[in-house]
Amino acid sequence: MLLVARKNLFSERTRLAISVGGVALSVFLISLLLSLYRGWDEKVGGFVEKTNVDIWVGSTGTNDFLTAASIIPLDNSNLLDAIPEIKAWSPLIVRPMTGVKVEFPERSDKEAEGTKMDMHLIGFDPEKGLAGPIKMVEGNGKPGPNEVIVDEALASHYGINLNDIISAGGKRWTVSGISEGGDFVASQTVFVSLKQAQTALQMEGLATFIVMQLADGVDPDEFAAEAETQVPQAAAFTKAEFTESTRDVVLGDILPILSIVLALAFIVGLAVSGLTIYTATIEKGREYGIIKAVGFKNTYLYRLVFEQALVTGALGFVIGVSLTLAFGRLAADQVPQFVTLVRWQDLLVVFGATIVMSLAAGYVPVRRLAAIDPVEAFKA
Amino acid sequence: MSDNATPVLEMVNVVKTYGAGDNAVTALKDIDFYANPGEVVLVMGPSGAGKSTFLTIAGALLKPTSGSVTVSGINIVEANERDLPDIRRERIGFVFQSFNLLEALTATENVTLVMSESRGGSPHRARELLNMMGLSHRLKSLPKNLSGGEKQRVAIARALANNPDLILADEPTANLDAKRGREFMLLLKQIAVEMQKAVVIVTHDHRMREIASRIVWLEDGTFRVDVATTKDPVCNRVIELEGAPNLEYEALRFYFCSDACKVLFEKEPMRYAGT
Repeated sequence: MLLVARKNLFSERTRLAISVGGVALSVFLISLLLSLYRGWDEKVGGFVEKTNVDIWVGSTGTNDFLTAASIIPLDNSNLLDAIPEIKAWSPLIVRPMTGVKVEFPERSDKEAEGTKMDMHLIGFDPEKGLAGPIKMVEGNGKPGPNEVIVDEALASHYGINLNDIISAGGKRWTVSGISEGGDFVASQTVFVSLKQAQTALQMEGLATFIVMQLADGVDPDEFAAEAETQVPQAAAFTKAEFTESTRDVVLGDILPILSIVLALAFIVGLAVSGLTIYTATIEKGREYGIIKAVGFKNTYLYRLVFEQALVTGALGFVIGVSLTLAFGRLAADQVPQFVTLVRWQDLLVVFGATIVMSLAAGYVPVRRLAAIDPVEAFKA
Repeated sequence: MSDNATPVLEMVNVVKTYGAGDNAVTALKDIDFYANPGEVVLVMGPSGAGKSTFLTIAGALLKPTSGSVTVSGINIVEANERDLPDIRRERIGFVFQSFNLLEALTATENVTLVMSESRGGSPHRARELLNMMGLSHRLKSLPKNLSGGEKQRVAIARALANNPDLILADEPTANLDAKRGREFMLLLKQIAVEMQKAVVIVTHDHRMREIASRIVWLEDGTFRVDVATTKDPVCNRVIELEGAPNLEYEALRFYFCSDACKVLFEKEPMRYAGT
């Protein structure tokens, strides 16, 4: 770094603090929003993405996992056993439920009355295990009659433990396991056996989806396309398609808003760093004239300004990202829905944006420098 | 021109015209000038005479409309515009009226900054120059902590950083008190003689005459010979006798740079007549 750039930058601590603070604030906002989006994206699509299912089949019009109003009659589903491309298949029930009561019988009288919660009830075949819990944290992964597996995020939020009671659809289920990977931010999974779900939801002979594992060597894209051709009233998705469409349905509306906020954060950073660098350059205009007069070229002055801008940007980036990491953890402890995921790829993008911000902030003052007449140095 | 020396600075038939057509103003009218190694040349003259234009052309900051300007054998009129900064940095040392040090840099850093490696520049040489200027105790001081005289000595060290043959000084004593001003001009003389530099000083300060090898009078864009000059007793500027406001006091005639100085003299003649 050039001596003059370093000295100019660090000799005025207040200005440096304002300038770095502006960039840091911008980087903090950008990286926090981005990591929040990534966190939600990961959570919302995470369950579908991580299940042991290759193909999801719903009724026509089905688009996603969380809000699907799909109903599939299971009358002739046994025909699926004859299809050699299908290694395993199973009906699956998925229903969002609100106001589900949870009781804590092992607690004191008042607490034992419990509370109410929202959740996604999933009825799966415990023997086949398709689209069941991603990973068990505690207890049994195969819920028996009157047993339920609760996602750890839900358990943590409501303080649910093994042997607590969940009541829904006139049924009372004892918590027999805690799983992970079923957190969709706004709601979480609760797993019961398919039969239990069908009874509770009065869906005997029906399912929301049919999920399948394909035989080795079968192309999921081709299979899904062929399935829709053969059964026009069905909508078939590969795991990747269903993951993406689930994310799109939930986060699609947020993305444009997020983009605008990201752009605003970028503009705030650009404005603060641009103004501080501009005023610093204008204030030092006479000194830049002197530097020109004693024999330095415009390119040297440009380098001076851009180096100051870039160092300001780099410091702002480090502080901004540190703030994001610290704030993300702190906020997640207080607000479970505040799920952030900081990816190095996103940090690279934010760093690139910071560099662009810094270069843009230096551009206007640099143009002023080019116009400085070194003869000004002779004026008293 | 001196017969036995190669001039460090030579200006021949230099004309500088600003603007064009009816708005054209000619600041320098076909002037010739030279400065040899080891001499101090004073350029004096009234305000608006073209001294600043002369200095900026001599300093390769401005190209003349016509004529030739040679610094250390380099024709700066024919030189590529992109090469002029290097010529200024390596061949010419500047001393400004307002010192013009960079406020964020220490004394040593102000000198080191302009040093060119190709001219033997190094932090060691910067310290050496500052020691030579009597600033060994101020090497790490910022300009804001230096006195006017110390600042000007740092400026001299900076001007000498690349060991140029030519030193151009613009009113170098204007911001110094009498004692510091005298010390400073003796230093300039010493540099000219001992280091064989050509020192060209544009000034109004009559005290500088004491160290001058030659004095040239610039007026209306031309150098005038046989100009009778004297000192304004109020502001101490060197002025040309011809046409200057004047008055007689106790059988002596006093000349002034302006009517304002004349009025001040009339109010307190005893204060100024003895200076």
